[in-house]
Amino acid sequence: MPGILEYQSGDTFLHRAHPLVKLLLAAVICVGGFLTQSLWVNLALLALSIVGGFALGMGRKVKASLKGAGSLCLFLFVVQLPFVRMGRTLLPLPFGLRITDLGLRYCAQLGMRLLGATLPLVLMLGVTRLSDLTNTLVAQLGIPYRYAFVITTAIRFIPVLFVEMRDVIEAQTARGVELDGSFKQKIRLIPPLCVPLLVSCVQRMENNALAAELRGFYLRKRGSGYRRYPLSAADAPALAACALILIIAIIT
Amino acid sequence: MILLENVSYAIESRELISGASLRIGQGEFAALAGENGAGKSTLLKLIMGLIKPTRGDILIQGASTRDRKVSALARTVGYLFQNPDRQLFGATIRQELSFGLDFLGVSKSDAESRVEETLGWLKLDPDRAPLSLSRGERQRVALASLFVRRPSLLLLDEPTTGLDYRECMQMMNTVARLNREDGVTVLMITHDMEIALDFAPRMLTLSGGRIIADGSTRELMRDEAMLKRASLIPAQMVALARRLGLAPGEADDADSLAEWVASSVKGGAQRAGHT
Ligand SMILES: Nc1ncnc2c1ncn2[C@@H]1O[C@H](COP(=O)(O)OP(=O)(O)OP(=O)(O)O)[C@@H](O)[C@H]1O
Ligand SMILES: [Mg+2]
Repeated sequence: MPGILEYQSGDTFLHRAHPLVKLLLAAVICVGGFLTQSLWVNLALLALSIVGGFALGMGRKVKASLKGAGSLCLFLFVVQLPFVRMGRTLLPLPFGLRITDLGLRYCAQLGMRLLGATLPLVLMLGVTRLSDLTNTLVAQLGIPYRYAFVITTAIRFIPVLFVEMRDVIEAQTARGVELDGSFKQKIRLIPPLCVPLLVSCVQRMENNALAAELRGFYLRKRGSGYRRYPLSAADAPALAACALILIIAIIT
Repeated sequence: MILLENVSYAIESRELISGASLRIGQGEFAALAGENGAGKSTLLKLIMGLIKPTRGDILIQGASTRDRKVSALARTVGYLFQNPDRQLFGATIRQELSFGLDFLGVSKSDAESRVEETLGWLKLDPDRAPLSLSRGERQRVALASLFVRRPSLLLLDEPTTGLDYRECMQMMNTVARLNREDGVTVLMITHDMEIALDFAPRMLTLSGGRIIADGSTRELMRDEAMLKRASLIPAQMVALARRLGLAPGEADDADSLAEWVASSVKGGAQRAGHT
């Protein structure tokens, strides 16, 4: 099972679409959520991502991101709500805090915007191979290879870090470290868990950088990739959708 | 001590360990061998309780690993990971060794004397940073950080891989001494049949997640077909002794083989002189 930020193989029209089109579509859905003033458009964009995700066979990714990003949004919602002073007071709270109608609307929209920005990115990474993304960023957008490489490598590193973290936790629990101790014990667990993880990350990065350099990393130029990525007619509907979303977001 | 009853372990319907049964008694020294990816580390993690079997049961000193926390097991079991860097974090070797002794409820003076004793055989400057040491030295510090806990069972995942001959022997002699003098049970993963022959009287061979052999190391060493299945080659002395038609255990090391060869050459020469 691929992780939440990993490519999930498939043969949907989005899998086959041009990597840049997919990047654009994800970006437009994110940006659209921030441009629009209408809660309904935010809701529609969110629904589009969720339904789209399930239609792409990535329901598991959708659920996982809703759970992860959703709880963060809920937390932000609850924390910010009592501090918005504009609008009609619906419920007065102690210490001069209050819940207002504008506050509810503002905080709900913020949550939906954040959620609406997470899902398309997760889905885009699910239908696009990282190597394809790097290659098009370099070949078509002219981003220097080393920056494109840094971005995609950072994404690729996340699941590796999870595996590494699991191994370090295993190694330290085997030494008698208890993960469910008191608060004081938990503080003492920071070095045994973080130092090995940090050390292995730095080592890995240094090794990877050296290995990349030894394999001619700095010789790579804009035209170096073997694969070409021509735009095709099949990309037209997705491009039209991009334009439509952008227009709706701007006028609402 | 260790009892596995028909243990299987699967991840996402792929079986990594299939129907493993074995019993290792207190004070035994056993080697665990097998090809890369055979499931050796997985078997060790199962015994440590880091992962739980999907079928079957594992008993350590009579208690199932299912209902014991790893930290409770860690009081009596020491586990050396394939990669020592996962375990080390202390600023100095001394700090590394004393970490966690208070969790175990060891008194301060007892903890200090244990650390001093361990530093004694470790023969490294206690104020050096573990991460600045050579790979072999780091491996030994990781092992030392287990010894201070006085475990009665040691699970070692390839403790000698990557060490030079001297460091390898230091490592193995320490483990052998603990086994001999303190009766510590040792289960050690190794690809090195010479080491298995020299230190472990018992050997288990794993292949494709199944235990394909379990018995005396000397005898298994002669089963070349079985060893081949597990990507192993027999210790050279044993191979030679077998070619010479000697019975298992008759002459399995360089000295006794040399003696045997010398006496047969002499015998042959005497016979030649008579005719
Ligand atoms: N968490 C995991 N998820 C999926 N597969 C795993 C996991 N852990 C181990 N495996 C797989 O199980 C098999 C056995 O792994 P294991 O590490 O036990 O082998 P090993 O015998 O220790 O090999 P080596 O000699 O290389 O250390 C391997 O094919 C490995 O890819
Ligand atoms: Mg292993």
